[in-house]
Amino acid sequence: MENKILIVDDEAHIRMLIEQTLEDLEDEGVIFFKAENGEEALEIIQSEKPQLVFLDVMMPKMNGMEVCRRVKKELELNNVFIVLLTAKGQELDRQKGLEVGADLYMTKPFDPEAILNKAREVLNLPG
Amino acid sequence: MARLSLKNIIGKKSASFALVQSFLEQLKADISIEDENGKILSGNEQLDPVHQYPIAVDNELLGWVKGDDNAFIIGSLVTLLLQKEGEKKKLGSEVLNLYQEVNLIFNFSEKLAQTIEPAAIAQITLDEAEHIIKSDNGVVILWDEYSRQLQVIAKSGELFFNEENINNNLSLLLRMILGGQSEIIDDISLLKDAGIVLPQVQSVLYSALKVNHRIMGAIILAGNGPVQYTAADLKFLTTLALQSSSAIESALLYEKNIKEANEREEAMRRIHEVTRKFVPYEFIQSLGYDLITDIKLGDQVEKIVTVLFSDIRNYTTLSERMTPEENFSFICSFNEYMGPIIRLNKGFINQYLGDAIMAIFPGNAADALAAAVQMQIAIQDFNKQRELFNQAPIQIGVGMHTGPLIMGITGDHERLDATTISDTVNTASRLESLTKYYKASIIISEETLQQISAPDTFHLRLLGRVQLKGKYAPTSIHECFSGNTEFELQKKLETLPYFTTGISNYLNSSFDRAVSAFQEVLDANPEDLTAKFFLNNATGYLNNGVPLNWMGVEQMQSK
Repeated sequence: MENKILIVDDEAHIRMLIEQTLEDLEDEGVIFFKAENGEEALEIIQSEKPQLVFLDVMMPKMNGMEVCRRVKKELELNNVFIVLLTAKGQELDRQKGLEVGADLYMTKPFDPEAILNKAREVLNLPG
Repeated sequence: MARLSLKNIIGKKSASFALVQSFLEQLKADISIEDENGKILSGNEQLDPVHQYPIAVDNELLGWVKGDDNAFIIGSLVTLLLQKEGEKKKLGSEVLNLYQEVNLIFNFSEKLAQTIEPAAIAQITLDEAEHIIKSDNGVVILWDEYSRQLQVIAKSGELFFNEENINNNLSLLLRMILGGQSEIIDDISLLKDAGIVLPQVQSVLYSALKVNHRIMGAIILAGNGPVQYTAADLKFLTTLALQSSSAIESALLYEKNIKEANEREEAMRRIHEVTRKFVPYEFIQSLGYDLITDIKLGDQVEKIVTVLFSDIRNYTTLSERMTPEENFSFICSFNEYMGPIIRLNKGFINQYLGDAIMAIFPGNAADALAAAVQMQIAIQDFNKQRELFNQAPIQIGVGMHTGPLIMGITGDHERLDATTISDTVNTASRLESLTKYYKASIIISEETLQQISAPDTFHLRLLGRVQLKGKYAPTSIHECFSGNTEFELQKKLETLPYFTTGISNYLNSSFDRAVSAFQEVLDANPEDLTAKFFLNNATGYLNNGVPLNWMGVEQMQSK
């Protein structure tokens, strides 16, 4: 099965940054998908079943929390590792993140190295 | 940055895959696209191609397009797409670098916000700088305005700075640092010659730490190898320096404030301590306060207390033989002996009046009497020391009385005084004077005796009744001889029955019986001057007759 990563953020530069950060994985056969809102993200998750999703919380057309809740609680896609991304200073309480079934949450500005390491870990790719 | 490759353009997963494929189909081209190693990525193998075009971006060969006449068109298209892809990657990589810098500065600010210690801030700054800028050594130095010295507050690696040398070569460093600049120093021979940096150092990068144009110091990095510092390194260091300058400034101010607050507190504590020596804490406490700053004019409290007076006998004669300085030091050493005894017995000294002491015992009168006895015993000890220096022994008389006393704050709003207003004080003072008259060491009033719950613990003798000057009612007075020498004590105990008989006959005007009783006392203890006083009085009344209104009460005309 191919390794797939979905990057969801309404801001184009964040999508670009995450992709750029994970660029090296492309050579290792990882396919990237991008979505700019929650609805689009949900469609891609259902059709492509990516192993890893970087999911922004504050987005138009269904926010990240709702996307996460649907994926984990309704669709029960438990093999999708979801990393919620929130802006620093707008940290949600961890309880809320756990309730919707997120696997991890990170704050923006994120540490590029931490994102790359997390992706390698989830996709089981040696560094 | 990942290497640009043909796969980015014509790989099945790429966005331009469809475009390239449709071109190939439309043109019915018979060509192959190969990577730089000859591996075919698209089309069929061309054994003997008519054309072959190299695909290169930025002078780097990335592959070949081989085949018919269409090879040129396809080659141009692929090259163009690759150039675009390359630009995109370069831009992306630059944005990522910038983002990493933002993230770093964000984290740096967060770390700075969590510390308030100048050296810790400097260390964080240095660590952060060395994380990004390759260097072997680093220091943060601060300029101390007061000592006019440079001080190393954070360092890493081999200390390339010689801490002593930096201050020996102040002018050189100051010219560098106080310029307030940031720069890359390629020629560091000056610093090496001055012995400021170690010989192996090859390049130095520094940025001044400044707040509002005031130079505080600098952060300096050095590389041993052939490190070529870049403008980007300098920009980054300057950004860190700017951030940490204000943090260090705040931390220094904070430190200064804390130090000043501590000093003020310490000064207050000392003032408080000294104030307590002038106005006893018990006095303030009696007024219901904890701090002297709370008292105000007119505060007062009335209590039943025992007032103790002590006075050195014949002090005038004694002091005439001393210089004023000797006098002063004598009184001080005497008071050093007496003060602790009073405090140990729960009393406090209300006043030192030259050679006299006035103390107040707010608790039981037994405390005051115990203190008086211990004072008399201490005098014996004091005299032994005086004897070593061939100094004459001294004697003190102690009188005490128990009664109401008002403690309060008098004066005016500009000058306050902790005062006691009480007739009890006057009576105690007069009883002290009587010790000379009766040749007794301690005299207590009947009121004092009445308050002592276990009078048996003291050795007492009734001395009759006195009419004090200005008083309407006569008072019974008692001698306490517990503080006498062991010898005197034994003698007085042995003769106590005769003495008691003598006093009761004396008070009943049976002077002949009184005379014989006091004579018995004196036969056994010729040194009993009190018995001698009564014997003389009784003999006088016997020979010369008694005043008409004699009620056994001595009229005290002197104070």
